[in-house]
Amino acid sequence: MRDPSDRELVREARRGDREAAAALFRRHWRDAWRAAYAVTGRRALADDVAADAFERAFAALGRFDERRPFRPWLQRIVANRALDLLRAERRLSYEEPLEPADARPDHRGGDRSLLASVADLSLERRVVVVLRYGVGMTPKEIAATLDLPVGTVNSRLARALEELRESLEVEHVE
Amino acid sequence: MSSELERRLDDLLLEAPEPETDVGERALARALRALELPVVRPRRRLRVVAALVAAALALLALAAGSLAAAGALHVSFGQVREHAGPRTLILPGGTAGIAAVVNGRLSVVTRSGFRLQGLPVSAAALSPHALYVAAGIGTSLVALKPDGRRAWSHPAGGTVVTIAWAPDGLRIAYVVRTARRLVLRTIWGNGTHDAAIDRSVRAVRPSWRADSLAFAYVAAGGRAVVYDVGHRSRSVVPNSPAGVSEVAFAPAGKRLALLDGRTIVVGKTRSRARIRLVGIGWVGGELAFVSRGGQAEPVRIPGPIVSFVASGSTFAAVVGGEEPRVVAGTTGNVATVLALPRGARVEAVAVR
Repeated sequence: MRDPSDRELVREARRGDREAAAALFRRHWRDAWRAAYAVTGRRALADDVAADAFERAFAALGRFDERRPFRPWLQRIVANRALDLLRAERRLSYEEPLEPADARPDHRGGDRSLLASVADLSLERRVVVVLRYGVGMTPKEIAATLDLPVGTVNSRLARALEELRESLEVEHVE
Repeated sequence: MSSELERRLDDLLLEAPEPETDVGERALARALRALELPVVRPRRRLRVVAALVAAALALLALAAGSLAAAGALHVSFGQVREHAGPRTLILPGGTAGIAAVVNGRLSVVTRSGFRLQGLPVSAAALSPHALYVAAGIGTSLVALKPDGRRAWSHPAGGTVVTIAWAPDGLRIAYVVRTARRLVLRTIWGNGTHDAAIDRSVRAVRPSWRADSLAFAYVAAGGRAVVYDVGHRSRSVVPNSPAGVSEVAFAPAGKRLALLDGRTIVVGKTRSRARIRLVGIGWVGGELAFVSRGGQAEPVRIPGPIVSFVASGSTFAAVVGGEEPRVVAGTTGNVATVLALPRGARVEAVAVR
C-alpha cells in the first residue's frame, strides 16, 4: 500500500484528521528542523523556529491552497521565522545575546572548516546556501520562499560560493 | 572549484544534527493543537464571533458618532450574554494565550494548557507565544514559566503598574510607582540588563512597535514619546496631544495611535469623536476604539476567567463566578477590554 501524498494528508488534516496531520508532521519535521538549525546555528533556536513554523502552518492549513506543494510552503515559513528571529537578535548585537550561539554548530562529522565558513556568511547569503544545499530547493523555489527575484537568489548564491571558495583557499594556504 | 565546493556543501549540510525526539513530540502536540483552530469548520464559531461583531457595530452606529479618519473603525461592544458553562478553547492562529488582571488577581490561560488563577498582581503581560507571563508581584517584576514556577524575579523598587513585552520577546518595558514618581524602565526578557528610561512618566501601558525597535509611552507632561531602543534616544511624537491616555502601535508597520479624551491622533490625522473614548486598539490594520457610552465603563467581574474563544480579530473570554459571562476584546499586543457586563472590572487584558 502506497504512502498517501502530501496533498492527500493535507486534505485529510484540513478535515480534522489528526492522524493525517501527525503523518504530515513526521514526514517534514526533520527537514524543517534541520533547515532551521542550518540558518540559526543553534539547537534551541531551531527547536523554537521549527515548532513555531509547524504551528503556524497547521493553523493556516485551512487557507492553504491544496494544489500547491506543502513542503516549499512549510520551508518558506521556517526560513522566514528563522530570519525574523535572527534579525531581531542582530539588532541587539551591541549587547550580548540572550543565549550564546553555539561555538561551533553541532555537526557530527563533516567538514568543520567549511561549516565554519558557512556560518560566517552574512545572513542573507547563508540562508540561500542553506535552502539550496541543506533543503535542496531550486533557486526558483528559494526565490518564491524569500520573495526575491530569481536573479537575486542566483547572485547571492554565486557570491556566497565565491566567498566560501576564497575562505577555504585562505585556510588552505595557512 | 565551485562544483567541488557544491558537492562538499551537499555532504556537509546533510550531516546536520538530528532534532531531539522530545522536541519533536512537543512540537507535534503544539502543531496538532493549532490544527484545532476553526479554519476548516468555522461556520458555527464564526457565527458567534459575527454576532459579537454585529452587536459591536450596531452599538457603534448608535453611540460612536463619527471619526473622520480614513480607515478608522468605530467599535464598541455591548453587553453580551452567553449561556453558562465552560466552552471549548478555540484560538486563532498566532494567539497563544490570554492574561487578565481581574480585581487585582491574575488569570492566565494558554493554548499549551497553562492555567494560573488567583495570583495577586499589580500588572501582568504575556510574552510572545505566551511562553511566559511577566507580573508585578509586591515590589518585584517576576516572570513565570508555563508551569507556574518563577523563571526570574527582579526587584523593581516599587509597585509595577503596567508591563509591555516586546513582540520579539527580547525586552520588556514597564512602569514602576516609586515613593515619588512613576519611572519607566526596560529589562531584557531573561530578567537582566534592567535600565531606567524615563524617571517621570504617566501610568500608561507602553506600546511596542511591531519591529520591537521602539516603543511609545506617555511622559509626565502627558505627551506621547517614542523611545528608540537601538539608538537609546527618545522623541516626542509630533502632533501629540497634551493629555494622552493611551498609546497603541499598529500590529504591523509603524503607525501609532494616540488617545486623548475624544481625540485620536494617527500620524498627521487628528479625529475628534462626539463622545469620550476610553480605549483604543488595532484590529489588524484598522483602529478600534471603545466609548464610555458603549458599555465600556469598568465594572466588576466576580470570578476568574475560565476559558476563552477567539477567531479573527475578536476574542471572548468566559468568566467564571456565580454567572459565567463573556468579555470581548480585540487581539493584538494590547487588547482593550470592550464589553463589560454589569458589575465587572477587568483591569488589564493581554492576548498573545
